[in-house]
Amino acid sequence: MQKSNMRRIKLIKYILTIALIVFVAYNSVYFRKLDEVKAASPSKSFNPKSFASDFYKNKLLPRADSAVDLNVLISILKTQPDEAFKKYSNALAIGNIRYFLVKGEGIIHSKSDDAVIVKLKGDRGETNVNIAIEFVYGNAIRDASGLMNLNDFSNTAEFNSISESINEIIRKEVLPSFVRDADVGSNVKFTGAIEINRKYVDISLIEILPIDLSIQN
Amino acid sequence: MKTSIKPLLYTCALIIVGMSGCTNNRTSADEKKKVAIVVSTLNNPWFVFLAETAAAQVRALGYEPKIFDSQNNTALETEHFENALASGYDAILFNPTDADGSVANVKRAKDAYVPVFCMDREVNTTDGATSQILSDNYSGCVALGKYFVQTMNKKGKYVELLGLVNDNNTWNRSKGFHSVVDNYQNLQMVAQQSAEFDRNKAMEVLESILQAHPDIDAVFCGNDAMASGAYQALAAAGKTNVKVYGFDGAEDVIESIRNGKIEATGMQFPQLIAEQAAIFADEYFKGKRDFAKKVPVAVELVTKKNIENYLAYGKRD
Repeated sequence: MQKSNMRRIKLIKYILTIALIVFVAYNSVYFRKLDEVKAASPSKSFNPKSFASDFYKNKLLPRADSAVDLNVLISILKTQPDEAFKKYSNALAIGNIRYFLVKGEGIIHSKSDDAVIVKLKGDRGETNVNIAIEFVYGNAIRDASGLMNLNDFSNTAEFNSISESINEIIRKEVLPSFVRDADVGSNVKFTGAIEINRKYVDISLIEILPIDLSIQN
Repeated sequence: MKTSIKPLLYTCALIIVGMSGCTNNRTSADEKKKVAIVVSTLNNPWFVFLAETAAAQVRALGYEPKIFDSQNNTALETEHFENALASGYDAILFNPTDADGSVANVKRAKDAYVPVFCMDREVNTTDGATSQILSDNYSGCVALGKYFVQTMNKKGKYVELLGLVNDNNTWNRSKGFHSVVDNYQNLQMVAQQSAEFDRNKAMEVLESILQAHPDIDAVFCGNDAMASGAYQALAAAGKTNVKVYGFDGAEDVIESIRNGKIEATGMQFPQLIAEQAAIFADEYFKGKRDFAKKVPVAVELVTKKNIENYLAYGKRD
């Protein structure tokens, strides 16, 4: 009788010990998905979509109206590149990558999956530029405006999320109707951002990330 | 009377000596100022280049540099900070091991009135470092993402090798890349795993991934050391047709792009970052205080098409 009691007590002890070990182990280790860590970085109070929407309508579009004419810029880049970069370019980062806010007008020469190729008006028809219709990504549009400062934001992830939202507005609200109506031979007016490497200036392949586009058939 | 003054004088003398020890033992105006260069690891040639360039620039500006290797260990980094502060260093050029874990070290230096200039890696506070000079990782990886989509013809299976999960650079790079690539449904990421910015670890991780996914078309790596490790694993498995993309502009990867082994990298400019940090320290010593809290440094896409324009680590030609 005593033996069986002892055994029962031993068994209860084992069960309690195992339960305690399981409890401690379960509460000591936890797993988080990498995606959750990634999503946790921007601050929760900041809403990049509403910030970008307000910025696009109330600051970027008005600012783009006063952008440099692309023909004028190309001409200065050919003759006085340093002056062109000093007067018209913006960049938040130090280094050779600089952005220009530009505007212009031209005739649609051809179309590909990634771009609408436009022959600029007013430059004796020598210059073709690409208006990007596929790859509208990155910080070019945000930074070309010269209207934003990284140090006004608490972290770089938050600051970059503004670019993603501005680019999304352009991809979803500006490009679909433009791509639909952009027939070869149509007249197009544009404002946009271009990126040029100051050390290796190449104006033979200018790509415009559009801000605003209008077709005049 | 005579005997009662003596202890008082001794006490005063001790207080004065004690106070001089308690204030700091930083260099006086006549002595050469000392600059500590605390780097996350010297086990990666990119960081060796960063540290040595910073030291050379500090020396060129007339100060005395010393390099400390944290060996990717925040506790060791803390020791280096304590030593640097106790030994009277006048500024710290800092490449942190951990965006959150290194904050306390930066704040400790600030409390001791020693300016800290972060190089390449960010700490998660705007109230600590005097200035942070950081590569624009996000924009660099947007450019890489665009090139990735174009060279993959918008379809295929790929693996992403991440850096250290507690480092902001890891996520800024990954987010820049995915901000483009995730818009293409036919590009499928079959595995995403950390290889901690380490070449050997990348080789091991990819070897293991290849067991489950032998049919991948590409590997996107958060730095060049991992890209080299990934290429090694692929070569050993006879899969040299798999495209590999890196980030840094390290010497072996620049050579591999030239030889067609690696597709592309994002060229960072450690020389520019290190020199700028040393120049900021010099300006601080001369009285400047209004530094931008964060200074991004542009990253440039390097592919086979423009490889002739670039030297490893963004060195000036």
